[in-house]
Amino acid sequence: MTKVVDGFKFMPPSLGAWIGKDIPTENYQGEIPWTPLKKPIKEVRFSLMTSAGISLKTDPPFDMERERQEPAWGDPTSRELPSTIREEEINVNHLHVNTDYIKQDINIILPLSRFTEFEKEGIIGSLAPTCYSYYGFQLDPTILLTETMPKVASRMKEEEVEAVLLTPA
Amino acid sequence: MLTPTPEFNRELGFPRTVAVEYPYGRPVGEVGDVKGQREVLLKTLGALENAKSPGSVVNLPFEWHEAPQDTKWHPSEISPIVKLFLSEIKKAGTESRR
Repeated sequence: MTKVVDGFKFMPPSLGAWIGKDIPTENYQGEIPWTPLKKPIKEVRFSLMTSAGISLKTDPPFDMERERQEPAWGDPTSRELPSTIREEEINVNHLHVNTDYIKQDINIILPLSRFTEFEKEGIIGSLAPTCYSYYGFQLDPTILLTETMPKVASRMKEEEVEAVLLTPA
Repeated sequence: MLTPTPEFNRELGFPRTVAVEYPYGRPVGEVGDVKGQREVLLKTLGALENAKSPGSVVNLPFEWHEAPQDTKWHPSEISPIVKLFLSEIKKAGTESRR
């Protein structure tokens, strides 16, 4: 039998019931953007982006303190992450998941080493020099969508990115 | 998108969704499990290559190696939004058990 993923399996039942009240029971009915893949994966240039709140230690960390003061607010900014970084070069700030695992192995949510391997093995075309993180808790995504992501998209175009793997926390 | 919560995508509409039943914060796999991470990512790349229309959802067959209560995915401090709505969350839990 084909598996159907239960996204609430790991959630405490009360929290799942509360969040689940606002989740539609049917698939999205509106128009969905679509850009067909124009070439085989082995020729495609990738970037990676996660909502896990990862930043370089040399950059400002995502703002957790304001969220503690304003619980409905989430930092709407993003950070660039060179695709060669290692765990010892990053901060991870996220008030909704345990960040310890990412600090031990960034690949569990931003699989830089795996995609570097795939490039060397000819499975993908290449991994762009820059990958990205933002902060996934966005009850009001206006700034994220109108200010932050257009800049990210522009950087991706500069680096001729053709596909992006998104990994929510 | 490789996500542990494909239900959330019903609110928006994503071109290509790959769902994996792994704990929050670890959608690619367990710390240090290179083989397992590669399996998830290769299936994800396959989904990208094979998707022919917007809104596709591919459910990966993998099972996490721990029971939900043993995954320790929770943050070290209670989330501000959860703290704010704790009474409503408990009420929703009580109502769902009726």
